[in-house]
Formats: sequence, C-alpha cells, structure tokens
Amino acid sequence: MRTLKLTGQIVALAAVAGLLGLLVWRLTHQSKPPRIGGPAPAFSLKRVDTSGTLDLASLRGKPVVLNFWASWCVPCKGEAQMLEQASHQYRKQGVVFLGVDFHDVTGDARKFLEHHGVTYPTVQDGSGAVADRYGVSAVPETYFIDRQGRLVGEHIMGTVVDAKDAFRRGVEAALGS
Amino acid sequence: MILRLGALVTLALAFAGPAAAACAQPRTSLSYLEGEVMCPTCHTTLDQSDSAAARRIEAFIQTRIDQCATAAQIKSELVANFGAGILAAPPRKGFDLLAWWLPIGGVLAGALLLGVGVWRWSRARTPVEGQPPVDDDTERRLDELLARLD
Repeated sequence: MRTLKLTGQIVALAAVAGLLGLLVWRLTHQSKPPRIGGPAPAFSLKRVDTSGTLDLASLRGKPVVLNFWASWCVPCKGEAQMLEQASHQYRKQGVVFLGVDFHDVTGDARKFLEHHGVTYPTVQDGSGAVADRYGVSAVPETYFIDRQGRLVGEHIMGTVVDAKDAFRRGVEAALGS
Repeated sequence: MILRLGALVTLALAFAGPAAAACAQPRTSLSYLEGEVMCPTCHTTLDQSDSAAARRIEAFIQTRIDQCATAAQIKSELVANFGAGILAAPPRKGFDLLAWWLPIGGVLAGALLLGVGVWRWSRARTPVEGQPPVDDDTERRLDELLARLD
C-alpha cells in the first residue's frame, strides 16, 4: 500500500513538473516582433510567381522592401499598382521589392499577381510562420531592410497608398541615404 | 421529328455531361470539409468563420470537389499550401499521434486512480473480523443513555 501511495505521488509530481515545463517552454518560445535596427528574421519560402524558392539571405547587400499581402485582402488590391510602379522607380538604385503572400490559396495569389501586373518576386507564407516572426497582425504590412539585412525605418501597417511619406522614408532608410 | 428529338437529346447530353460527370468514388461535401478545415486568420473551423480568407478556402474546396478530388486529396493539398495547422484535427501519425493518445491515457489514468481510491475507501470501512464494533462497557453506557432519553 505504501509503495502504491509513493508511486501515485511520484506520478502526480511528474505530471505537475511536465505541465510547468510546457508553460516555461511556451513563455520562452513566444515570438517577439523584431526591433528596428535589428536583423530581419531570415526565411526561405516557395516562389508564387515562378518555380523554386527564395532565401532572404540571397538578397543581402541590396535594400529590400518587404510587402505582406493576400489576394483576399481588399486594401492589398489598392496598393498593388503603387508598389509595382515604385519597384520600377527604385530598381535603378538596386532596391528589391519582395512580396510575401500570406495565408492564401496559391491559385488565387497567381491570379492576383497577373491581374495587377505585379512583376517583382513574390513568395508564399501559407502557414503564416514568417509573418508571425515579423509581428504581422494584418495585411497589408510593409517592412524595409537595408543592405546589411537590418530592419530600418518604421514598418507600415495598412496600405502604402495611405502612408506615402512613411514609404518614401522607409525606402531611403533602406538605401542608407 | 425524330431527328430533332435526337439532336435535342445529344445537345442536352453534351451540356449536362461535364456537370454531372460521375466520379470514380462518392463525392465529398463542402459541409463536411468545413468542419475539418481551419480558417488560418481567425483560428476557427471554416463553418464558424465568415472571413475573406475562409471564403476563398471554401471556394477552393468546392472547385476541387467539382473536379472529383477526394477529401483526403483536398486536405493534403491544403496542408501543402497552408501547413498542418490548417487541419482541425492533428494527423494520426508521428509526434501528432500524442494529441490523440494523451487524452485517452489521461482518462484511463483517471479511471485507475478513481478505482484505487474507491477500493481503499471501501477497505477502510470494513470492520475487522473477530472484534465487536464497540466494547461491552461502551455498549452498556450507550444503553443507559438511550434509556434516559426514553
């Protein structure tokens, strides 16, 4: 009987310790939004516009405008044209525009790119894991990354059409000017 | 007349054919899959969500159902697109199997603990054989007290 009681106590203690461990793991592994000036969270994602994958690290040395969007997002439609035009405008200065399609059906995303004439590279974050690491709360959101791979400027929540000054400042910060 | 009727039947078959094309296996339904698939933006099943993302996923599912894709195929395509988190229930393999077995293990462990507890409690209440529940002196005093009450 004494052995049974002891076994029961050990099992109960182990269960409590396990639950505590899970709680600690959860608290220590919560994603925190990256800070401005810190490294942009790395990722390698499947391309939507073509085959293959794109690794953010492969763009090191170039300023990057990172735009999170989705085909089901109505405001994203409103900013697609401006982003496409800006990608042409800043291309000579070496700025790379990169779209990240968020929680979207691949076929819908391709139709969106075709419909809006988006020509810059686009990758797909179907699970939203990359968006989580950037702290994206809703699409569209736009981030700016400098040549050293650091987040610069202030990220734009909402469309770039509604934040033209912040967009220009962000691109300039990415260019280092 | 017969020629006209024949032409009409041929036309009807030509238009109705693709829509009513029989699938090799029974078609799955949108209402079934709506309860099996999560909305990635609102973290509820599709049938409980009215978000734009959920509506697009429902449209994708309906298209695939119309193309005779099975529920397993559709789920597999959604997992490839959105990751395993798109499914309401975790897969029954690998580490995810724990999610299925842990609750069952918990219920069994609870039942075992309850059983042991009941067994111990019932043993503790059984009088020890060969000994009266009260000694003679106590019994006499109890009788006196009861007599006084009468």
